[in-house]
This record gives sequence, C-alpha cells and structure tokens, in this order.
Amino acid sequence: MKEIHLEIVTPSKMAFNGEILSVKVPGTKGSFQILFNHAPILSSLEIGMIKIVDVENKASYFSTSGGTLEAKNNNVILLVESLESPEEINLKRAEESMQRAKERLSSKNANLDQVRAENSLKRALNRIKLYNKIK
Amino acid sequence: MATLRDIKRRIVGVKNTQQITKAMKMVAAAKLRRAQDNIVSARPYSRMIRKILNNLLAVSKIAENPLTEKRNAEKIAVIIITSDRGLCGSFNMNIIREAEDMIKQEYKAQIETGNVVLYCFGKKGYEYFSKRDFKIEGNYSGVFSELKFEVASKFVNSMIHKFSKKEIDKAVIVYNKFKSVIQHDKTIEQLLPIEAADETKIENNAEVDYIYEPDKISIINSLLPKYLNSIMWQALIESYAAELGARMTAMDMATENAKELIRTLNITYNKERQASITKEILEIVSGADALKNG
Repeated sequence: MKEIHLEIVTPSKMAFNGEILSVKVPGTKGSFQILFNHAPILSSLEIGMIKIVDVENKASYFSTSGGTLEAKNNNVILLVESLESPEEINLKRAEESMQRAKERLSSKNANLDQVRAENSLKRALNRIKLYNKIK
Repeated sequence: MATLRDIKRRIVGVKNTQQITKAMKMVAAAKLRRAQDNIVSARPYSRMIRKILNNLLAVSKIAENPLTEKRNAEKIAVIIITSDRGLCGSFNMNIIREAEDMIKQEYKAQIETGNVVLYCFGKKGYEYFSKRDFKIEGNYSGVFSELKFEVASKFVNSMIHKFSKKEIDKAVIVYNKFKSVIQHDKTIEQLLPIEAADETKIENNAEVDYIYEPDKISIINSLLPKYLNSIMWQALIESYAAELGARMTAMDMATENAKELIRTLNITYNKERQASITKEILEIVSGADALKNG
C-alpha cells in the first residue's frame, strides 16, 4: 500500500495521527496535494480547506485558518492553529461573523485593521463553504 | 476566660472552615488534572514549530525579520501573569515581587522616563499594580475562567503591531512555570524581539533538500508570529496549572491546620468540662457536709 503518515498538530491537541493515502492543503501559492513519495516540501498554508483521503479511500474535510506543512520521507506534519470538522462548524456563528466583517470593511473607519477584517471574512466564508459542501 | 459554650462554638466554626478548604482543595485537584492535560497536549505543537523554525534559520542563515530586530530597549512592555482568584498561598505575591524587582533593577532608567508599561493577566496582578505608581496598558482579568488559544493569539497580534510601530522595543513575560503540583518556578521570558535560535540545539537537517513554498523568508515570516503565539499560550496554561497546584497545596495545609486547631480546642474543651464537673461535685459535697454538720 502506498500509505503516508500524517500528523496534524494544533496548539490544543494532536488532532490527527495515522496513515492516509493523500492529503490536500491550501498552500500559499495555491492548493496542492501530497501523495506517496512526494518530494520534501516546506510550505506555509492559508485559510482554506484540508482534504484527507484515508486508507479506505474515504475523504474527510476540515477547515483551517492557516499554518505550516512539512513533508519528507512520506511523513507529513501539519501545524495548524485551528482545525474544524464540518460537524464542529456553527453555521449561524459563521454567518454572523461574515456579516460583521463585511460591515467593518465597508465602513470608512480610519482605525480599521484592514488585514484582520479581511482575514476574519475569509475564515467565515471558508467555514460556510465547507459546511455547505458536506450538508 | 472562654466558657464551655464559647469553645464549642469555635470548634463548630473551625469545622465549617475546614469543610470549605477541603472542598476547595478537591475542586483545585480536579481542575489541575485538566490543566495538566492541556500543557501536555500543547507541547508537540510548540516543539514542532520550534524545530521547523530552527532548521529554517540554520539553512537560511538569516534572521532579517522585523520581529528579531534588536533595538535600544527604551520602551519596555512587561507582561505579568497572575491568577484571578486568591487563596493560593504565595503564588501571586511571589510573581508580583519578582516583576517589581526586575522592573526596578533592570529598567530603572525607563521607569523614570515613564516608558515601562504593564500588561496584567489575572485580576490579582492588576489590583496590586494599579494601586501603585505603574502604567498599566492592558488589563486582562478573568481570562482564566475560560482559557482559549485566541486569548494568546489576539494579544500577541497586538504586541506585534506595537513592536513594529516602535511603540515598544522589548517585551518580557513574567509568570509561574508549572513544575509539579507542589512546585512552580518564577520565570522571566523574552517575547519580543525574538532571540536568535541557540546554535547548539539546531538539529542538523540542512542536507534535506526541501521545496520551499513560496520561499524560505515568507515561511519564516509566517512562522514567527505563530511561534510567539505558542510561547504566550504556553505561559498562560503553565501559569494556570501552577495556580491550581498552589491552591491545592495551600488548601491542603489549611485543612491540616484546621485539624490541629480542632484537636487542641477539643482538649481545652474537655479540660474545661472536667474542671466544671469537679467544681460542681465539690459544691454538692461541701453543701451536703454543711447540712450534716448543721
């Protein structure tokens, strides 16, 4: 079997530790997939979706707010600050924060932290997208 | 002189206190277990982030991120982590004294120009420093009731913002590091600027030919803030666990003291009771004697 070992580590726990067939991550230069015998790579990750295909060929999806990926010798380590499965996503909360972020971005406030507002909008949109994809 | 009833009342009072301290000890013990689990599960993340960062810095030999820039330390931010609640022995006082000593010794000049600002996590530190002549910039009381990673990352974000705008030149964290239930160490850790990695600790990993996406410098730039987040988060959860440990020990001691107090009070009570009985018998006997002779 062409399995790779994946570890997903978040600040609060070891979220995933096991063998998989492939993992797809939101890299800074674009989404990419790691398969068996991938060349060693170190990449930063953006807000987006992680897709894991396990040994039974079943896909599962998670949302993340960015992090880092290191892969070598068929060992993949994903360091992410947050990881949410679709079941954990609170659609109402995501929609509310999308609304808030949009309002903040459209307001003409000079003190506005543009990057932060944009990021929170991106996170909310990402959650909503993942939620709708599964349901 | 205490009457029998007074002593009885005191015994009941001490017993009540003992029950409270015992309950508090138990609550602290239960919470401590969860806090310890938190520390253990946070370790892989900070370890790995450090490892990747060290390896990167080793191969790229650059540290030209604004966050590593050493400036003349004119404006100092001191982050003090205490607890929200009391009844945990000398836990808070230790750290407050440590912070105050450090500020007065190392940053004397900056104090005089009013360039030392404090950020207090936990109510106790805030209560202490706000009554004295210190400039408190941030008061984060009550964060420990619901400790979340976002607390650390939001705070670090604002610190990074201030550091890059040169509103602060150096930031240090003063906190209690959890060692064991009965032991915690006063720790001073530098948050900003990030100090260069310890050369001796770098794993020799340079021969692996990585693909860097997008490139080394961008990865370092995106990793450094996350590294700071994990330092801050680690400090918060370590301090919280240390607080619970300190409370557990303090309450255990209080329970023991109460036990001892009850014991001595009981002895006094019994002696007193015996004395009063003896006195009563004497009175009866002498009364009977008087009747017989009369």
